[in-house]
Amino acid sequence: MRSDINDSALDYLLARAGLDLTNEQKVELKTVHVALAEMAERVRKPRGRMAEPAHGYGFAEEDLA
Amino acid sequence: MSDAIPTIAEAGRQIAAKELSPVELTRACLARLHALDGELHAFVHVTEERALAEARAAERVITAGGPKGPLHGIPIGLKDIVDTKGIPTTCGSKFLQDNIPDTDAACTEKLAAAGSVLIGKLTTHEFADGGPSFDLPAPPARNPWNTAHFTAGSSSGTGAAVAAGLILGGIGTDTGGSIRGPAALCGIAGIKPTYGLVSRAGVAPAAYSLDHIGPMAWTAEDCALMLQALAGHDPRDPASASRPLPNFTALLGGGIKGLKIGVIHHFHEVDHKVSDGTRRGIDSALATFRDLGAELREVQLSPLPDWAACGSLISITERAAAYEEWTRTRLGDFSERMRSRLMLGALVSGVDYVQAVRRRRELRAELQQAMKGLDVVLTATQPSEAAKIDEVPKWDLFDRPNFTMPFNVAGYPAISICAGFGAGGLPVAIQLVGKPFQEPTLFRIADAFEKATPFRGERPALVTARAAA
Repeated sequence: MRSDINDSALDYLLARAGLDLTNEQKVELKTVHVALAEMAERVRKPRGRMAEPAHGYGFAEEDLA
Repeated sequence: MSDAIPTIAEAGRQIAAKELSPVELTRACLARLHALDGELHAFVHVTEERALAEARAAERVITAGGPKGPLHGIPIGLKDIVDTKGIPTTCGSKFLQDNIPDTDAACTEKLAAAGSVLIGKLTTHEFADGGPSFDLPAPPARNPWNTAHFTAGSSSGTGAAVAAGLILGGIGTDTGGSIRGPAALCGIAGIKPTYGLVSRAGVAPAAYSLDHIGPMAWTAEDCALMLQALAGHDPRDPASASRPLPNFTALLGGGIKGLKIGVIHHFHEVDHKVSDGTRRGIDSALATFRDLGAELREVQLSPLPDWAACGSLISITERAAAYEEWTRTRLGDFSERMRSRLMLGALVSGVDYVQAVRRRRELRAELQQAMKGLDVVLTATQPSEAAKIDEVPKWDLFDRPNFTMPFNVAGYPAISICAGFGAGGLPVAIQLVGKPFQEPTLFRIADAFEKATPFRGERPALVTARAAA
């Protein structure tokens, strides 16, 4: 389970996302980070490398014309 | 005409029999709109002159040769994230206050082609997410059953307008429950069709792979009539399904004896325990289905938080991608709630997203397996009656896994119908979920329930009081 996020890690993620947030907004993000990290853990299951994602890619009629 | 608000099916029959004038029907809806929308805030833009012109044109055509179908001359509304040529489409946002599209969305075109009368554009949470917000150009919609209460969202205006009879049907969109939630809290019917059945072309995205367009109306039968006009392949939507369309009303009235309904009790009794009022509504509905001859079975799926996590991670990421440019350059111009949702995108990694999409495949397979031998499954739509509008938690997303997201994750069709009223006098609802492209079965069961119960006979007191005044 991932834990609380520290200031420098949050600043890195925000910079990567191109966001310039106020201190108040950063505090808010930190309060919900744990819940979001729990969600990210929930979708990880022991499934092996061959398990495909739901989205497939198919050719449309237009491709085949 | 009388003050009674007809369903689409009733009005369509009366119009076809020349017992009801589309012009008079439109005037009645507009009269209710003028009387009530100052309190409800269901509309952000009213197209009164256009509506009356369309109604007069419909009347001329119908008088000359009969209606082109059951929606001809029927007053409807469109959620304000649906493009309308020449009519403002603001998505409830400061960003698009001056936006007037030069083309119609696919669903706008289809409802117009069916001869419906457009009354106007309906209130939405900003870009269909995050509300209720009090810092947007327009106020949030209010629940007609008690205007101190929330409608749910994001198709909040559609829910309020249909319940109050300002329109007979409307368009909602649903990324995690935005059709079914307002349908439930406003006491109407609303269906999220199978993913790909209704084109998303010309509708602002919330999360591409979870977004669905669908009808909201007073009854399931009315939703079926609207879906008949809305469904169909559209090459402008890359997810659009190409398959023959069924007659969505074909199974109505056929009874439900012998149909098999799976009940996902653990969703609403363990994973997210519903209120006593909602529990009574669900239990009573199950008794009704049993009385009508359906067979009930127990269904076990992964816990609700698993579905919520999968859907939320996908939703957060796809939304952040869709609105990245404005998030980076004009974050302060979003409402406070939308801004907070968009910021979450920074905390979800690419690997998190792909793991969620891999989980999605597993969850969908699980639902497919669980529904073998069943016609539909049933659970709650909402955990309780509507909360007060100023008491809606901002981070509901994390606090309480919702009952509707699982079927956006799976892409399966799901309808919410009214199942009675709670202690506060506000509606409670059930959610029925069908197999992909099996909407006729959903409508059959929902319609049988509505006809076996008294709940379609009661409109909000605010509406009946104004009619009596």
